[in-house]
Amino acid sequence: MKRIVLLLGCLLLVLAIIKEIRRTRAPQVPVTTSGRVEMCLFCHQEKPAKVHAREVVGCSPCHLGNPLHLDKKLAHRGMVKNPADLRVAERTCGAPACHPEIPARVHKSLMATNRGIITTLRLYWGEISDEKEAFAENDVKALLEKKEASSLALDYYRKLCGSCHLWFEKGKYPGFLGEKGGGCVACHLVPGPREAKHPRLTRKIPLKNCVRCHNRSGRLGLTYQGLYEDEGYGTPYLEGDFGEPFLADGRFVREIPPDVHFKAGLVCVDCHLAEETMGDGRAYTHFEESVEVECTSCHGGDGTTRKGRHIKGVQREGKQLIFVTRMQGKKLPLKPPNPVKCRHSVHQRLSCQACHAPRVPQCFGCHVRKDPREKQLDKLSGRETPGTWEEFRSYQRIDTPTLGVKGEKIVILAPG
Amino acid sequence: MKSQLRPWVSWGLMASLLLAILSGLIISYPFREEIPLVSTAGLEGVIPFGALFRSFHYYTAQIAFLLLVWHTVEAILTRGYERRRFFYWVFLAGAYPLFVLILFTGYIIRGDETGLSAGRIAENLTYTLPYLGNLLNRLCFSVSEDGVHRAYLSHLFFSFGLLLVLSLWHFRLRRIKLEDLALWAVLALTLALIWPPSLEPPRYTLHIKGPWFFLGIQELLRYLPPFWAGIFIPLLPVTALIFFPKAPRTCLLGLVVWHLFYFIFLGRGLLR
Repeated sequence: MKRIVLLLGCLLLVLAIIKEIRRTRAPQVPVTTSGRVEMCLFCHQEKPAKVHAREVVGCSPCHLGNPLHLDKKLAHRGMVKNPADLRVAERTCGAPACHPEIPARVHKSLMATNRGIITTLRLYWGEISDEKEAFAENDVKALLEKKEASSLALDYYRKLCGSCHLWFEKGKYPGFLGEKGGGCVACHLVPGPREAKHPRLTRKIPLKNCVRCHNRSGRLGLTYQGLYEDEGYGTPYLEGDFGEPFLADGRFVREIPPDVHFKAGLVCVDCHLAEETMGDGRAYTHFEESVEVECTSCHGGDGTTRKGRHIKGVQREGKQLIFVTRMQGKKLPLKPPNPVKCRHSVHQRLSCQACHAPRVPQCFGCHVRKDPREKQLDKLSGRETPGTWEEFRSYQRIDTPTLGVKGEKIVILAPG
Repeated sequence: MKSQLRPWVSWGLMASLLLAILSGLIISYPFREEIPLVSTAGLEGVIPFGALFRSFHYYTAQIAFLLLVWHTVEAILTRGYERRRFFYWVFLAGAYPLFVLILFTGYIIRGDETGLSAGRIAENLTYTLPYLGNLLNRLCFSVSEDGVHRAYLSHLFFSFGLLLVLSLWHFRLRRIKLEDLALWAVLALTLALIWPPSLEPPRYTLHIKGPWFFLGIQELLRYLPPFWAGIFIPLLPVTALIFFPKAPRTCLLGLVVWHLFYFIFLGRGLLR
């Protein structure tokens, strides 16, 4: 017995010594500026931007895992690649020391719930009789819990619209789908310098990030920057290639005169407030309930939205109100509405767009077909399920929009 | 039932305690109490053999505690208390809170989330103890004011105190056999190599798990006021053990019921 124990002891000692020799060891314990242990910093040399500097934040507050171990397996246990994913955002971006109030708001925002799209679709397809019906169900988060659709409209949504929401996992699918979604980073992520080996997080959200999703229906993101989704086939071919530019999903576009705000250097977040995009804590059903900025907030107003919030870009310089653009910090004069044309009593009911949107893309004869013989990817469950949806249109035009009456206002009506 | 206690359990307890203290001495060398977590992380990731000695220290102490439980159960089953003076029995019962305190302060001084949170809970629990609460806290914890300083000192003092009393008096300076030391070292080393003890990083979560033996108290704190959950109920088995020779049947029943009750809560705490 004594011999066996001693032999076993020796064997274990040898094992322990081998394990120790093979163990990765740092020359000293890496700590952040606040003295927090971050062993990750010994192996990882990535450099996020200043606001999330590695020396200040470290890795684990965002990517979780265990920063007290150098052993890769132990250190990476529970780690997340995308800390901004809404499934973990409350523990990462929304940690008490960082942005604690944001995740709960975002969870209720329309970009996360897609309640507007889902409700309208189900209402038009006759699956619900009232907008308020199935309010909790008409939410991406609720749909994610189910493996497949329980109705035709929901099947259509899951297959054709299910990639344009904040719950969509970034990088889950190849190609342009992989760039979409990701929670906070759906908007806030921009590529970093090559040597940083880490993307950057920004509040200066480039147009490209918004247009990744906002490029269908009204084609607002395209028209704004001077692009029109063409019906053509990329013709005429030039030098053996398509003669027209095309979007990441393969749709051809043609250049048209961009919006005056685009020419002035404004991007979406110059006008649209954080409360509109990330939610203000209320669960809305429709986009127009959430949007609060109006043309007159800046043009003729003092930068206050219809809900009483201030647009940051609107600033006072001397006696004049100016607009400071977010991306370049350009100072722009704010033109008030024309006192004769806009304030004239006969134009009182006209919305600004009725006159100032000379061209609007209009898609007529929209219809869809479901082929039950084929399978198509359900973007929420990630599985191929029976039934392929195809969208068709009769024709598309960019033209002067039709005007119509909505409530008390004359607005533009654009079939999308 | 055998009338005598099994000596290998007693010697195992002594050998494990000795090994725990020796390995503790080694890891105390690079340990700096003003930066406990940096020191512990340094032991894991910087100091050669640091992680191995830390794991070894952890398991030898845990084994010693479990053998103390075994030793006591055997003493009860073999009616060992009838052959010893009441004072000896009180000493055995008194070794429990002392040993738990040593283990508990060991968790605190590693300075991670589990340790410091458990320390703060213990600190608040001691305040609920009438008259002695403040003194006990100053002596053992005081985590919110002194960090791990008091816990570190009490960990060292009580460990050596226990060893001193056991070796000088209870074991009467008999030499521990090399094979006893080797056997328990092999067991601890095996565990250390297979399941190295973890360190919990700070987490922004409302749920923190303390040391495994503390989880029952943590769970009880959800339902009962701190004094009852953290002081009164944990003192019940110690009291029952002290008075075991006086009323064996009642105390045995009490101990069995208490442990059943406590392990249900402990299990629930583990599963959270």
